[in-house]
Amino acid sequence: MKASIATRLAVMFAVAALGVFSLVGVALYRVLYRELGRHQLSEVNTRLEYVGMMVNRNDNAVSWQNLRTKLDTLTPADDSVRYWVLGPDPRFVYGDVPAELRERLGTQAPRPFMLELEGRSMRAVSRSIPPKGERPAVQIVAALDSERFCNTLDTFAGALVALCLAGVALVTFLGYRIAKVGLAPLSSLSQEAQSLSPRDLSQRLRLSPLPRELSDLAASFNGALDRLERAYAQLEGFNADVAHELRTPLTNLIGQTQVALAKERTAAQLEEVLQSNLEELDRLRKIVSDMLFLARADQGETALDRVHTSAAEEVSKTVEFLDVILEEAGVSVRVEGDAHASFERSLFLRAASNLLLNAVEHSERGAEIVVAIARRESEMRIAVTNPGAPIPEQHLGRLFDRFYRADGARRNSRDNHGLGLSIVKAVAKMHGGTVFATSAEGRNTFGFTLSDAPLAATPRLAGRESREA
Amino acid sequence: MKLLIVEDEPKTADYLHRGLNEQGYTVDVARTGPDGHALALLHDYDAIVLDVMLPEMDGFAVLRAIRARKQTPVIMLTARDRVDDRVHGLREGADDYLAKPFSFLELVARLQAVTRRGRVQESTQLRIGDLEIDLLSRKAHRAGNRLELTAKEFALLALLARREGQILSKTVIAEQVWDMSFDSDTNVVEVAIKRLRAKVDGPYERKLLHTIRGMGYVLEVRDAREAP
Repeated sequence: MKASIATRLAVMFAVAALGVFSLVGVALYRVLYRELGRHQLSEVNTRLEYVGMMVNRNDNAVSWQNLRTKLDTLTPADDSVRYWVLGPDPRFVYGDVPAELRERLGTQAPRPFMLELEGRSMRAVSRSIPPKGERPAVQIVAALDSERFCNTLDTFAGALVALCLAGVALVTFLGYRIAKVGLAPLSSLSQEAQSLSPRDLSQRLRLSPLPRELSDLAASFNGALDRLERAYAQLEGFNADVAHELRTPLTNLIGQTQVALAKERTAAQLEEVLQSNLEELDRLRKIVSDMLFLARADQGETALDRVHTSAAEEVSKTVEFLDVILEEAGVSVRVEGDAHASFERSLFLRAASNLLLNAVEHSERGAEIVVAIARRESEMRIAVTNPGAPIPEQHLGRLFDRFYRADGARRNSRDNHGLGLSIVKAVAKMHGGTVFATSAEGRNTFGFTLSDAPLAATPRLAGRESREA
Repeated sequence: MKLLIVEDEPKTADYLHRGLNEQGYTVDVARTGPDGHALALLHDYDAIVLDVMLPEMDGFAVLRAIRARKQTPVIMLTARDRVDDRVHGLREGADDYLAKPFSFLELVARLQAVTRRGRVQESTQLRIGDLEIDLLSRKAHRAGNRLELTAKEFALLALLARREGQILSKTVIAEQVWDMSFDSDTNVVEVAIKRLRAKVDGPYERKLLHTIRGMGYVLEVRDAREAP
């Protein structure tokens, strides 16, 4: 599972804060380092200037003694400031010049430099003084202990790191709290969603207390719930219908067989039972194969054995097949228009025959059924119209649902188990088409479209079949 | 006619065995894929009925193994009727394909179709009792009287007469007479048979066109006492 949004935000804030603080800290450190360095240098320079002035003034060996005394006084007891005067004449020098310093002065141009002396690092500046009077040319050096400078920098850096860490911690904590507060509507939404119970499918999330970003999400979620509820209701009704459709023949089979076996029967009686059982079994077989057919269409199976044919021709064949039925019902069929399209013949015939049978079933004697075939862009449209009582709007869209019956009452018909129109829908779907139904001015039209657009092939399953199939 | 049935489900194998035996076939039964394969290669069968779901070696594998050596006609049986399976079976060299639950009559019809090839041309004159049918001039007479039949009625009668004594299911009739290759929900065949019966049997003492409840129709001469 992923970390919570609040935690993620807090971590992101922490990383951002750490970055920003580090950057600012490093910059401040650099600025301070430079300023302190400059400050120190100017102090050393001032002292060097002063010593230079004094050296300049003392040009004989006697007054040099005064200079030595003065320089001794100028050197503090803790040796934090040191002076040296180097020259060829031992009378005009000052201080024990360490070997390192001598070496540095020999190799280096007179510039500020760092000097390691008795374990402390000192910032030193040197300068040459031209000869005057008895005194030859000398080099003077002033050095300032940089420990204070280092201490200040260290203290500053320590404070900076501590402040940065504290700042990061604070930002993280505040970020977490802010995220928590900001996300409160989300957690209340999630709580509300959790409290939705499977018992009551009509429950929905409340949109009013939600901020705009979430209300869209909740609305989408509610939409999904709507669809689920509808699908669930349909499935429930469907299960009940299937159970009912299967129960009737099963009851007949079990009952009849039990009655037949309860007593000794003649061969003729047993034969009668077997024959009746066979009829019931055939009914079961038909329901099962229709259901399988619908399930396959639901799973997205498409018509593969397509041939390019005239729709009018196939409709006429269907009409010819149903001829005796049409004659018995006293209705006639007229086919209008034609279009060529690619479709699987047996599926098309099945759909056309179901539509015609539906029309016959709801037509009075003497009625004329019109089959109109037309092409609209990449679609072929087959509409079967029969004169009949108007169908209320709420039923129209649902008549293609499985086992759906507008009259509500279950007619116990042997040939028709309520799947006829849903098979039409499945056939249309397998050809990338749709179904439609309209009812106006005493004319009811049911039909479907077939699309010429190539469909994505169904995923092929492995050749092995499973036992439950 | 010698048949091999390769089927592991005992009840199915038994009823197929008995039913096909009664239809005049000599029948061997194999319960597993390897047995079926061995028997198919050992004997020369007129046709093989092969289940897809088999232990040890599935039907497709058996079919491939048989096809490597022999061209015996094979009808595949399967519990699934996905188009893919059908295409698969036919591509592997099956001659026909039946989805369970199938009607026994349909299996018999298909067996006849796959074994019919190469047999002598059928006669164009058929005679059943006092019913005479001329397939060429498309005329039928009963006891010397001309029967006034529509084209479809004649096609229906000719089909039943050519398969004299065989039970034809409604599905087979719809397919053969109207070229309707799907399991129709209508009673078209019933109505058509009723009309044909009125013309063929109506005025005559001896009935030729019989209904076998739950299965289909048969045209044959029966003993008067047997007639329904």
